[in-house]
Amino acid sequence: MSTAIRNLPLCRAGCLLGGMLLLLASGRAFGAEPRLFSFATSKGLAVKVLQDNELPFIHAQLLIYLDGSTQNYASLAITQLAVMNMFERSLNSPPSNLMGMLQRQGGDFLVEQNPEFMKISMNFLPDRLGSFSRLLKEIFTYQSFHLNKFNLSKERFWPLFMKGRDWKKEIALTLAYQQLVGNFYFTRGFLLQEILDGINMAQVRSFMLKNLRPDNALLVLKGKVNPYFILGMIEKDLPSPAVPPARERRETPALNAARKIFILNVNAPEPPMVYWFDVAPPAADAAFLPYAIGNFSLFGFPGGRIYHSERNRFLMEGYKVDTDTIYLKDFTLFCNYLRVNYGDLENFLLLVEQERKKFAARPIERKEYLDALNHYIGQAQVGTSRFSYELQAEIDRFHGQGTKGAAPRPGPELFQEVSFNRVLQAMDEQMGAKPKSGNREKGIVVLVGNADQVLNSLKFLKTEALELSVD
Amino acid sequence: MIKARFFLWLLFAPLMPLGGQTLAISSFELPNGLRVILAPSSNLQAASVCVYHMRGARLEPVDARGISYLYQYLMFDGNENLEPFDHVLFINKMGGIVSGRVNYDNAVFYDVLPAQEINVALWLESERLKSLRLNDANIDYQKNQIITRIGRLLESNPGFRAQTWVNSRVFEGSAYEIPLYGDLNRLRSLSNDRVRDYYQHFQNLGNVLLIITGKFDINELRSGINKFFQDIPPGRRAANPVFSAQNQRRSHVAKNWLLSGLKKHFVVYGIKAPAKIGYNFMYFDFLRYYLTDPRLARLGHILNAVNKLDVEIESGFTDYMEANCLTIQVSSSKRFNLEKAKYIIEKELHALGNIPISNNDMKAVRSLMEIDFLKGMVSLEERCLRIGEYYHMFGELNFYDVQLRRLRRITPYDIMESAKKYLLKENQVILNVYGD
Repeated sequence: MSTAIRNLPLCRAGCLLGGMLLLLASGRAFGAEPRLFSFATSKGLAVKVLQDNELPFIHAQLLIYLDGSTQNYASLAITQLAVMNMFERSLNSPPSNLMGMLQRQGGDFLVEQNPEFMKISMNFLPDRLGSFSRLLKEIFTYQSFHLNKFNLSKERFWPLFMKGRDWKKEIALTLAYQQLVGNFYFTRGFLLQEILDGINMAQVRSFMLKNLRPDNALLVLKGKVNPYFILGMIEKDLPSPAVPPARERRETPALNAARKIFILNVNAPEPPMVYWFDVAPPAADAAFLPYAIGNFSLFGFPGGRIYHSERNRFLMEGYKVDTDTIYLKDFTLFCNYLRVNYGDLENFLLLVEQERKKFAARPIERKEYLDALNHYIGQAQVGTSRFSYELQAEIDRFHGQGTKGAAPRPGPELFQEVSFNRVLQAMDEQMGAKPKSGNREKGIVVLVGNADQVLNSLKFLKTEALELSVD
Repeated sequence: MIKARFFLWLLFAPLMPLGGQTLAISSFELPNGLRVILAPSSNLQAASVCVYHMRGARLEPVDARGISYLYQYLMFDGNENLEPFDHVLFINKMGGIVSGRVNYDNAVFYDVLPAQEINVALWLESERLKSLRLNDANIDYQKNQIITRIGRLLESNPGFRAQTWVNSRVFEGSAYEIPLYGDLNRLRSLSNDRVRDYYQHFQNLGNVLLIITGKFDINELRSGINKFFQDIPPGRRAANPVFSAQNQRRSHVAKNWLLSGLKKHFVVYGIKAPAKIGYNFMYFDFLRYYLTDPRLARLGHILNAVNKLDVEIESGFTDYMEANCLTIQVSSSKRFNLEKAKYIIEKELHALGNIPISNNDMKAVRSLMEIDFLKGMVSLEERCLRIGEYYHMFGELNFYDVQLRRLRRITPYDIMESAKKYLLKENQVILNVYGD
């Protein structure tokens, strides 16, 4: 009997097919390469799943979009207060529903913010995947408003804002962003207590209703997961967004990249921080890469021009500029920063200005171009050892899709496609070697330190600087 | 039969755990005594080369305390073929990361870089081991830098001064008693010949592990290792003493400092904790997470949410192999609140030895510890460090499953026992620092 069954070709094919179907159902990928699954759910939430069977836990990032280009003093405060009320642990003790769920999920979460979106990153064990969609639901239907908590968040705003984050860089970024998009210019302090005091809970609630919606968010997951299981859970648990729908994607704002120097007055004993912001196209745009190479040729350690000559090396002795790339929807910001002694502050700013101007007379050389290319290719390869690798690339692709169609996939190979000529062209635009807006320099500078000392240390740039305070 | 097995595999494959969770770690030894440990991950495009010295500051001779800390800086100050910071420049140019640090039990220096450039890292690390630049000028420069920096910290930062004092009392009588940077006066008078001479012990290949993780071709890697490391002489072999968990003397110490110009009063608790090599370490680590991890913030909840004391809490853990110290610093501008906080902390620590932690809290802490452990194993440099430490302590390479299994088996009673043993008042050093 058994022989008869074994010899039945139909039965064998059926067994094989059944097994293969089971494998498919498990979502198991063959090979080590993570597989990407993209979904647009019926609730409007865009979902990207990077199935990586080598990763022993699940890493998730939820981006909720904010309209940075329409912000003002009050809306900035509202956003900060909303995030604080939802996610600050000390304000949610005993835990709110959301905090309780986050803790049960593993408790390893981080909320970051920039003018365009808030990003909630979390890591959890695969056995908590079942409750993840309920956690998402709780975020999108947040109701744990309490007047006491809200008042406490206003009262203790600054100690909480400064806790466990690089708040100086965050403020510098906000200043630079608002200056660039030209929505409103800071002439008063940043998040002053009088502004915070003027915010009420209804405003925060209305902000949440407007922004915390599945159709205004992107979810990216990476780990040993079955993407169809996740999709099913989200479809089941997530609420349908209430009318009116989230904002339509707006046009790319015209950017005002002309030079501006802000001094953020902070009473701290340590030397001041310098943040130098430059604009580049969005990361998913092929035009982004030449800008990145240009930025590295100026600031990159050790090959950057600010370290080149004997004189520059003398001025920069003991200093190293670090660079963060801030990926936004419509453009990218390079944030080059360092801590510098008051006495060297102006020398550094003038050195950068001078080296930028020199690009007109002495364009980027082939060797500089190759060095930068090598650095970025290497950095992308080293990035593969970080578990959040590939997530940023998928987010950039998502941002690029709305306006530019299929965006290229960032990675080491892409850098190799950037031509030398394209870099030369980008350098003209980025560094202001051939200024497009009159004779103005480019680059937004934020100096964070004791304003009196900063102003005393500035001689030539003093008139350009605008002083702002924080409470 | 084979087909039946194949069918069964097909049937049950989806139900089996996905992906291998065991790291394939192997090792071999070069004729000069250098032990090489390999932990490949073929799915990456990066590799990490780590030089793990099994000699840290705890083995320094009494007259040369702080000498290992000095090497931490000299390691980046050039060698026979490379100028100061050339090492950093090379790795930076390739988009890689370079770092290192010296501790009491070990010293670790690593480079993470694109996989195809692994030979560059091997060359750079071998240069550093072979011919570190130890001339008078750079030794004097680094000595002065340390003396100025630490001197300034001790002068201007009461918190740092308080922590140093608490640590010295917690570890009284052990190798961890003296700060890592040693005695600044002695460091100033330390002869440069002594610095050169002791380096032979520090870099002795018999006490060095070369740990490589990430993507590499085993044959190419072996030839690279042979090329760059086999000619390094073995140096003066000095056997490392075997680790033993130290019994820290039980005596409650409390002291008050009065400092002028202090904005906030604070108290620093130094709690004697088990050695990393001890079986109890994981249980105490659990307690540490429960009480002080900012993601759980148990103490913060009790003091600020329940008792409305509005105090700030900071904590630190030494993570040493033979004995440990958990420090908890509580500060407040109101002295009354600080005193109340001290009373509550005392009660809370006592209660942990008598009442088992709830199941929900057990789950929360366990999963946080597991996530942190797994995150550490994904990061190449962290993986190197953990492999090195485990080999250093136990002489074993494969610890991944063992650690995870132990972590998952922790019970509330294990934690209660650990609390009973370590959270006693006799195990605490308390320093009260009050302003005017």
